[in-house]
Amino acid sequence: MITVSNLKKSYGTTTALNGISFSIQSGEFYGLLGPNGAGKSTTISIMSMLVPSDSGVVTIDGKNIGHEAIACKKVLGVVPQEIALYGELSAVDNLLFWGSLYGVSKSVLKGRIDETLTLFGLYDRRNDKVKTYSGGMKRRINIASALLHHPKVLFMDEPTVGIDPQSRNLIFEVMQKLHKEGMTIVYTTHYMEEAERFCDRIGIIDNGTIVAQGTLEELRLQGGEKESLLVSGSGITEEKQRQLQLFGFDVVIQDEQLLFLSSHMKGDMPRVVMACNDLGIEILHIDIRKVNLESVFLSLTGKKLRD
Amino acid sequence: MFEIARKDLQLFFADKRGMLLTFAVPIALITLFAFAFGGAGQSDGPSPTKLVIVDLDQTRESKALITTLDSLDEFQVQTTSLDSAEEMVMKGNRAAVLFLAKGLEDSILHNGQPSFELKYDAGEGPQVAILGGALYGRLNEILAVRKSEIRSSESLVPPDSATSAILAMVAENNSKNGVAIKETPLVREKENAAGLVHAVAGTAIMMLLFSVTAMGTAMLDEKQEGTLKKLLLSPIKPSSVLFGKMISVNIISIMQLVVMFVYGWIVFGLDIMHHIPSLIIMIISTAFACSAFGVFLVSFAKSKAQVSGMSTLIILTMSAIGGSMIPSFVMPAFMQKLSVFSVNYWGIQGFYDVFWRDLAFSDPTFITRIAVLVGIGTVLNLISVGLFKRNVLSLI
Repeated sequence: MITVSNLKKSYGTTTALNGISFSIQSGEFYGLLGPNGAGKSTTISIMSMLVPSDSGVVTIDGKNIGHEAIACKKVLGVVPQEIALYGELSAVDNLLFWGSLYGVSKSVLKGRIDETLTLFGLYDRRNDKVKTYSGGMKRRINIASALLHHPKVLFMDEPTVGIDPQSRNLIFEVMQKLHKEGMTIVYTTHYMEEAERFCDRIGIIDNGTIVAQGTLEELRLQGGEKESLLVSGSGITEEKQRQLQLFGFDVVIQDEQLLFLSSHMKGDMPRVVMACNDLGIEILHIDIRKVNLESVFLSLTGKKLRD
Repeated sequence: MFEIARKDLQLFFADKRGMLLTFAVPIALITLFAFAFGGAGQSDGPSPTKLVIVDLDQTRESKALITTLDSLDEFQVQTTSLDSAEEMVMKGNRAAVLFLAKGLEDSILHNGQPSFELKYDAGEGPQVAILGGALYGRLNEILAVRKSEIRSSESLVPPDSATSAILAMVAENNSKNGVAIKETPLVREKENAAGLVHAVAGTAIMMLLFSVTAMGTAMLDEKQEGTLKKLLLSPIKPSSVLFGKMISVNIISIMQLVVMFVYGWIVFGLDIMHHIPSLIIMIISTAFACSAFGVFLVSFAKSKAQVSGMSTLIILTMSAIGGSMIPSFVMPAFMQKLSVFSVNYWGIQGFYDVFWRDLAFSDPTFITRIAVLVGIGTVLNLISVGLFKRNVLSLI
């Protein structure tokens, strides 16, 4: 459904994308993960034809976006990170407007709007001005506006940032429903658990390149099947982290805690405790975590996702 | 207390737009009004009044009179034919025309009372009154001297001091008798008083410029709020976003002008019903030019703050020189020349053509005004398309 080949983009002397390539099958739920500045948004912006690339080719539904932009846009639904709605208009009027831009007739659109508003739990508030909605409700309408033309492909750029649990769960339900119906979804998020929960395949992007991609299991293998050990306590400093690395530990500081990665964490735990004691770190709590995307990401890029 | 004052001053001086409105706008307006009313920039005294003369007498005396009038600092004489002169007044190119009647030479040579006719546009009352007063005084002086000269030459005796004194008395006597200037309005006072037309048209255009700029800044709001980005994600061409905005601004501008003229009709009795076709054309072309100006200002700027600062200054300046605030005929000649560079001037003159001068729909003067307004709109729209791509669409 989507192919991205050797995509490059620079802003002045800064390289944003350095030859990214990946492909997404029809009906696949693909997650694009990366820290801020990794090149995620640039990739999405190029794929959604908002900015041109310096070189490389992107095809959507078999069409080259450089040659058939309008045709590609018609099969594409994009949910931008920012809520882009007209506050003075009602939800229905907003949806009528955004839907009409995709050439959906008014009669068809009205039926789809009712259907979508019901799906997102906003039918009762359909005639209220959007400016009176909560942040979560606005975000739901923001997503709804990208679905009215029944796109084959949906790009979602961090759609659950800063919203209440009720809205988040509703969005998850809708995403799962769309995925089940066969829609191809490209999803960027900072939340590892969301990527783990929904994505069929994940691409990890860092410094403008794809450092790894595959299913969660494939990524775990690429990441060395590492488990993580989270140590909280007093006396944790960057200097002590460096000393622990000199002792041979794969360790970073995360939220003022030490995060150790190891393929045999249970066996390594006594060494970790001894090393911490030697460095004067007073351990208050230790938590062993199974291999997850966070530890895979850390292992592959050497940094946390939210760095 | 002093800390609060210091903080407020810091904030004030950090706000470039506020500074612009506080200092630059008043300075610009003071400068304009000083030029318009205060005589600033006129080191050699007031500029001469353009005086159009039709010489129906075509004699040595009438030609000599024209030469003498032209030699005076206060007049810049232009002679023309009867038809052309009347057209000048009726189309608003001149406020009045002086006719030298047949028999002028006879009356000068035979000590009769020379008669003149001043044909004028009643809508230009103040200007005509000033011109009429000046003409009356000057013609009396010139003709009194001329009659004295004629008498003196007829006596064949070189005037001694006593004779000179007598001639001066005769001249004074003639001057008291005065010349007769018949005043004939070519464009008569009517239901649509010129002042009313000016008040409605001038104000409507100035306020329209402010409102189209405000409407145009909605585009920058869209950029700021992310809806412009979302529009660009949809399968429409980027230029369609701008054209859509232009259409909506034009429609609202037309509605605004219609409401203002209907208000002028209901409340002040502005007779719009007898000029509907011309009025519609004028409203559409004025709205087109003003809308293009608003969109141009917005395309020119990169932020809303830039638009707000610039627009206030530019619109007030254009309205002042274009005649929205004060009629352009009371301004000095160079200000009148400048006024043609403002949308206001062409709009106001066009509405004068419709309501006051009753120019036909097909009249070249009226068509010229429409063409200029449409031309301004077209050029500004074309420039806006280029600027819009560079300034507004630069999202990332």
